Amino acid sequence: MPDVAHNNTITFPDGQSSWTALLKNADARIGAPDRFDGQRVVFVVDSMQQAFGAIIYGLTHGLDYGVVERHRVSPEVAGRFAENGVALFDWAAVTVMGDAQHAGDTLEPGRVTVLTSGTTGLLKLIPHSWDTLNTFDRVAELPANTWFLPYQIGSYAWFQMVALGLFKPGQNLVCGDFNDLAASFETALRSGQITAISSTPTFWRHALMNIGFDLIQSAPLTSISMGGEIVDQAILDELGGIFPQAKIRHIYASSEAGAAIVVTDGKAGFDAKLTDPARAIGVKVEEDRLYIRSPYSNKADASGWVDTGDLVERRGDRFLFCGRAGNTMINVGGQKAFPPDIEAYLNAHPNVVWSQVTARRAPLMGNLPVAKVVLTKGADTTTAERDLTEYCSKGLAEYAVPRMWEFLDSVPMRASLKS
Amino acid sequence: MERQEILDTMNLVMTNKGREPITDETVATRDANFRSLDFSEVALRIETKLGRELTFDAAAMRNIDTVKDVLDFFEKATA
Repeated sequence: MPDVAHNNTITFPDGQSSWTALLKNADARIGAPDRFDGQRVVFVVDSMQQAFGAIIYGLTHGLDYGVVERHRVSPEVAGRFAENGVALFDWAAVTVMGDAQHAGDTLEPGRVTVLTSGTTGLLKLIPHSWDTLNTFDRVAELPANTWFLPYQIGSYAWFQMVALGLFKPGQNLVCGDFNDLAASFETALRSGQITAISSTPTFWRHALMNIGFDLIQSAPLTSISMGGEIVDQAILDELGGIFPQAKIRHIYASSEAGAAIVVTDGKAGFDAKLTDPARAIGVKVEEDRLYIRSPYSNKADASGWVDTGDLVERRGDRFLFCGRAGNTMINVGGQKAFPPDIEAYLNAHPNVVWSQVTARRAPLMGNLPVAKVVLTKGADTTTAERDLTEYCSKGLAEYAVPRMWEFLDSVPMRASLKS
Repeated sequence: MERQEILDTMNLVMTNKGREPITDETVATRDANFRSLDFSEVALRIETKLGRELTFDAAAMRNIDTVKDVLDFFEKATA
């Protein structure tokens, strides 16, 4: 594991700190690490500052640990931790919550527990280590950056960014405030210090709706990374137009497969050449299903491959993402309509900020595609339904044209920054 | 549901697609360019408006030929 970049700074809503200062405070608060002997522990925190303190404390003392926000610890979630032999430790009260758990044979010093609710909504504990989370270790030359960190504490994306700030010198972090992410992003932009951001397409659509365009455009961004959901051509083109100086990349990663595909050519999907078997990080497609073999993976079969459960479709020299297996295709009277395709087409319309297409049960056809849409400010809502229907009729198969429309005032965004 | 309201729903579907509204009940759905997908959309819109799923008589659905048949069908289904 590389050394900690002690001089990197972390900016919280109430001030700036460094890893050295965070560790000093954590040691003073929690005391000697022997209180965690024989325990797999997850620290329950109330703030980003506490979370970062827990991170450097656990890393420095080689704990088997993780971190979770207090509001996520429902009785059901607490039970899930207990089932896995995980003790919950209240960072603020400096005490074990509930009954102490004994990890027994499952204790693995150096393991880092990442939390994901995945597509099922059920909290899962994904075992990682700082080696598998440190996905920037292959980037030899990384320019100094100040990153805006919008992710939820304890998620895989959050850990990746924390690892970047931990191990890569010159990578400073500015933490977003989840109580009002757009406002904290706006504050960070006004500081003029943000040069890089990792987020999702939904985050950007949300920001573009809620923050003044001039302020966004004035940001000296040189690095924009997106992932977590399908990155369509419309958002790549829009950000490319706003930030011509920035390197825009989209990354395919998951908490189980690890970071695997990085695309920097400004196009949606990925080049079919990435399936070349000689590559260090393996990418293969079988029956339109994506498999990854990555050193950052935590779960693979005997041959090292992880079935991602994501579907891709070959179009020319590229593979485009089509969503998750089993829950994406809409059967319209025997014809197959794919929401990601429809959304990508809708998002390319100049009056559309965001769209989401789902299936509605309907007589005769079985299902029909229906759309939720956020329009640009000032767009004519009275003609939007007809305009978008006409637009879709020109570029989509008849069965793929959304049949009912709901127009929302703002981009819905979950804690994962996805919609 | 009133017959006129059903016809209005049909015509909303038609005009959204850039087609002429239907004025003559006797015209065949094929000639009016009112398709299966449109029928399904009208049903969905009516269900949404009523807040409940409709029960359909499959045999009656197969016998639909004219706009009048469509109106009769939905009148009965929503009664």
